[in-house]
Amino acid sequence: MNETLEKRHMGLKASRTISNTLIYIILIVMSVVWLIPFICIVLQSFRVESTWQVGYVVPQQWGWDNYKALWNSDFKRWYLNTFIIALVVAVLQTVIVLCMSYTLSRFRFKLRDGLMRFMLILGMFPGMLTMIILYRVLKDLGLTQANAVPGLILVYVASSGMGYYVSKGFFDTIPKSLDEAARIDGATRAQVLTKIILPLAKPIVIYTILTAFMGPWGDFVFARYVSFGTSAGMNVAVGMYSWLQLDQIGQKYTMFCAGGVIVAIPVTILFMCLQKYYVEGVTGGAVKG
Amino acid sequence: MASVKLTKVKKVYDNKVVAVHDFDLDIKDKEFVVFVGPSGCGKSTTLRMIAGLEDISDGTVEIDGEVVNDLQPKDRGIAMVFQNYALYPHMTVYDNIAFSLRLQKVPEDVIYEKVTNAAEILGITDYLLRKPRALSGGQRQRVAIGRAMVRNSKVFLMDEPLSNLDAKLRNQMRAEIILLRQKLDTTFIYVTHDQTEAMTLADRIVIMKDGFIMQVGTPEECFDMPKNLFVAEFIGAPKMNVLKTELIKEGGKYYVKPFGVKIEVDGEKGEKLAKKQAAAGEVILGVRPEHIVLAKEGQTGAIPCVLEVNEMMGSELHLHVYTEDGTRLIVRVPTIDLTAAQRENMVTGHKLFITFEGKVMHFFDPETEKNLLTD
Amino acid sequence: MKRYSDLEFLKLSKGQKFLYKLQSFFAAIPRAIGRFFLAIGRLFKNIGLGIGREFADIFNTFKEGDWKTRVSFLVMGFGSMARGQVLRGLMFLLFEAVFIFYMVTAGGYWMSMLPSLGKIGPHQEYNAVLDAYTTAYGDNSFKILLYGVLTMFFIVAFIYTWRLNVKQNKIAQEYLRSGRRLKSSGDDLRSLVDEQFYKTLLALPLTGILVFTVMPIVFMILVAFTNYDGSHDGYNNALFGWQGLANFRTMLTWTGGGGVNYSATFGEILTWTLIWAFFATFTNYFLGMFVAMMINKKGIRLKKLWRTILVLTIAIPQFISLLYVSKMFAKNGIVNGLLLNLGWISKAIDFWGSTAHNGLLPRVMVIVINIWIGIPYLMLIATGILMNIPADLYESSRIDGANAWQQYTKITLPYMLFITGPYLLTSFTGNMNNFNVIYLLTGGAPTNAAASGAAGSVGYTDLLVTWLFKITTGAEAQYYLASVVGILVFLVVAVISLVVYNVLPSIKNEEDFQ
Repeated sequence: MNETLEKRHMGLKASRTISNTLIYIILIVMSVVWLIPFICIVLQSFRVESTWQVGYVVPQQWGWDNYKALWNSDFKRWYLNTFIIALVVAVLQTVIVLCMSYTLSRFRFKLRDGLMRFMLILGMFPGMLTMIILYRVLKDLGLTQANAVPGLILVYVASSGMGYYVSKGFFDTIPKSLDEAARIDGATRAQVLTKIILPLAKPIVIYTILTAFMGPWGDFVFARYVSFGTSAGMNVAVGMYSWLQLDQIGQKYTMFCAGGVIVAIPVTILFMCLQKYYVEGVTGGAVKG
Repeated sequence: MASVKLTKVKKVYDNKVVAVHDFDLDIKDKEFVVFVGPSGCGKSTTLRMIAGLEDISDGTVEIDGEVVNDLQPKDRGIAMVFQNYALYPHMTVYDNIAFSLRLQKVPEDVIYEKVTNAAEILGITDYLLRKPRALSGGQRQRVAIGRAMVRNSKVFLMDEPLSNLDAKLRNQMRAEIILLRQKLDTTFIYVTHDQTEAMTLADRIVIMKDGFIMQVGTPEECFDMPKNLFVAEFIGAPKMNVLKTELIKEGGKYYVKPFGVKIEVDGEKGEKLAKKQAAAGEVILGVRPEHIVLAKEGQTGAIPCVLEVNEMMGSELHLHVYTEDGTRLIVRVPTIDLTAAQRENMVTGHKLFITFEGKVMHFFDPETEKNLLTD
Repeated sequence: MKRYSDLEFLKLSKGQKFLYKLQSFFAAIPRAIGRFFLAIGRLFKNIGLGIGREFADIFNTFKEGDWKTRVSFLVMGFGSMARGQVLRGLMFLLFEAVFIFYMVTAGGYWMSMLPSLGKIGPHQEYNAVLDAYTTAYGDNSFKILLYGVLTMFFIVAFIYTWRLNVKQNKIAQEYLRSGRRLKSSGDDLRSLVDEQFYKTLLALPLTGILVFTVMPIVFMILVAFTNYDGSHDGYNNALFGWQGLANFRTMLTWTGGGGVNYSATFGEILTWTLIWAFFATFTNYFLGMFVAMMINKKGIRLKKLWRTILVLTIAIPQFISLLYVSKMFAKNGIVNGLLLNLGWISKAIDFWGSTAHNGLLPRVMVIVINIWIGIPYLMLIATGILMNIPADLYESSRIDGANAWQQYTKITLPYMLFITGPYLLTSFTGNMNNFNVIYLLTGGAPTNAAASGAAGSVGYTDLLVTWLFKITTGAEAQYYLASVVGILVFLVVAVISLVVYNVLPSIKNEEDFQ
């Protein structure tokens, strides 16, 4: 009896060692797969012997040529455009999302349920559809091509009220009795928001700012529509996309890599610093639905 | 320092559910009134309507003679303590208590005075710079009370303030609330589901069920003269034994015949029955566990029964017994009345005899469940 | 069918139980459909009744109103001002003035043109100065439609405000009759930061949504009933006009052999869209969960490192990673280069161009790369939820004798599915409309020769949204077709959502796991 028991224990230990080893192997392989493209980008951004795609990873000649070329191209302009858009959108979108989600979480007014259902239905239309008309409207307002930056900001911010789910879910977890206590203590609803709810909602405020800031860096379709081939109005995504088209890829491939590095660095650093809040928001949002 | 008057107050929710039906109550200045009832009886809703946290569907609420239906909570001159304390987690104890004063733009030195004063009374001076999460349940409770104290409000509202505390702390805080009340000397409205709290704290108890008031009265009145079966069963622990039986009238005297044993309704109860000319017939008989006594075999009125469970409470035993027809009863026997041998005998299956006197009985109409002896 | 009681049901064998459940499910369908239509019927009835009530109320307000109220029927806000609520009254009056001014100067024109979408198109006109025929431009269909829609919005808003104005008078009269005080202008302003704070907070976001989401959607729905396209742009080359349901007919009827077969193309793309959404959602979901469980396993070290490596990929803007990966797998990309150098293959693999088996290779590739994109995200979500599963569930199941696999299937998975049910749905519909991944990776390639008679060039990896995008770009943009596709996408998403919402346990038994 004792012997079989011992064997069982041994088996348990051995199988745990095996499974853990297996997991480590998988994790290491995964890490490699996940990191390789980024390592390649970085390495190739330093390649000077050719600007074309090649069948090897490590450059034969290292240098800053690609970065210098970036500095002399329209990339600066695109980068500045994107940065301005991201900054303004981060502020305005956060304000709008917070207004929306606080209201829907805390007030019970007549049209509340109808409003939420309506927005759910609106969300089912492919956003692509509205681009044509938005483009025409922006064009009439003179906010396209070279003036694309304010136009893009306007459109990004205007519809951001629809993305209230995550923060509303967070607000819902703050006990309502805090609001009530504050109102009895003499606070108006506006004071409840500024003095009680917002200080408590710091993680979700940061999450909202972070996602709002990151959004414009990746937007491609609409930005391309609005800039309409005018370099001065492009953001990095649109501008750099053109470098990978057939007519340019031969000369601009390594420049694309360098640009990618420049774009990724600040966003990644910011993201890594605020990762905690991002994780909180993402998990909360998925659970709340 | 104010009276509160509720006239035909009603709460109807959007889905047409009526939570409170025509609630009439006159609360005198400096009175301590407790709303008590099972969950969902509308007691909290009523309190929240007084506070202004819930719209009043119909009727009026007056504080100090002024109709406050359309006033915001902050303008009603009330303070409130919540069940989960509702302390602002991001503020220190000091800031929590000072919050309402700051909103009123009271000068900081006055705030300091008031807050430290309140903290002194509540014994939380040492914690003023802590955040609520670093406090124990009892301390949090004190902060919540302190926050309400500094407002100098006319009416003090408390919504189940003790139900998140453990049993021991609850007893302690209950005593402190009595002391606090003496110090503050203001009108209190207190909501609880615990009848012990209601009995010990209240000047008057309001017992509610399904949005209706069942009885309003002093603790003694509610205990001695429950207006109906619900109140009778709700007040008192363990709860009153009730059984259906026959009320017999013979020669001007009344008798009941529970379990085939004829017991005369004598004393005050008998006189009252006679005075009301109560008709004979089926009644619901109620007897509190502490009014049932152990009897000897053969004694008149002795009812034979079998012990099912014996709960030893220390100073008393709660005996759960069943009679020959299977009715379950609870008997409360002071430990001191029994010899050690008798106590040892009290095991499941033990046969014993019980009896009760006529003067302790309560009678309820089987149809309306109203007390036969109240008007 | 026979209904079993709970106790009878428990006695059934496993197979019988399953059959019984299946049966009850299908037996419930007709009733569910019936309920659906009943609900719609009720909705219409309620709307009808509501409108009736409104009219009755308006009539009564006029009958019982004093002269101030009656004047307010014409001069909005008069009653409010006469009763001392100056601010409210002024707002009403101002709105009325603006409305009338707009309707007279512009709105009336747009509304009158709406039925025709313009009468005079661009035409040749004799120019006396140049002594030649030049092109003169007439009406602008696009603007007529756009401003027509805006004007309709405005009219609706006006009717609502007018109704509000009438109601205000009624309420004010009742207040005064019962001796209550009316709210002063100061009260009105104060309440905007207090009990009516929601109005203040919602004003800006809802205006944005109305103008930049609702209005464009209404506009584009209307476009589906016109012939708006590259050669009828409404101003420069030709007017466009109403077409009725012709576009839907084009898209949905089977034309058989000759000509462009839109319905076949649509069906083909829809099928791929659904397949894509299914795989994209569930591969990510299960693999992400798997990775999260591996990292969270007791005894695995450097948890933070593994997590950070994966999360890093979320931070980097998708257009960089997707475009780069797309080029890595290009015919002359680094992957092919390496494989050739190593001598593992003799000819470059055409990852994106292979049309064999309906473009199977590119299709698999986009799904695989989407896994690469999606796993970190799902890993985060799954980690959060896994940590929230009460540990005692696992402990009690271990005492009951469950092994790791049983724990997974009986506890972890049901819990995860339950909690993330709504998320799965949104993620599925989100993937149906996942423009970025497809467009940046393949641009829809490789071209599907069979389907490419239809608008735009249709590729094997094209989703409905990327197809929609292609239809709307270029000189031959067929906006009306894009609108039809958009509406159809909406219908598909709506139906899926409706069905899933009705069978999803998280919505039906919300309390089960709490």
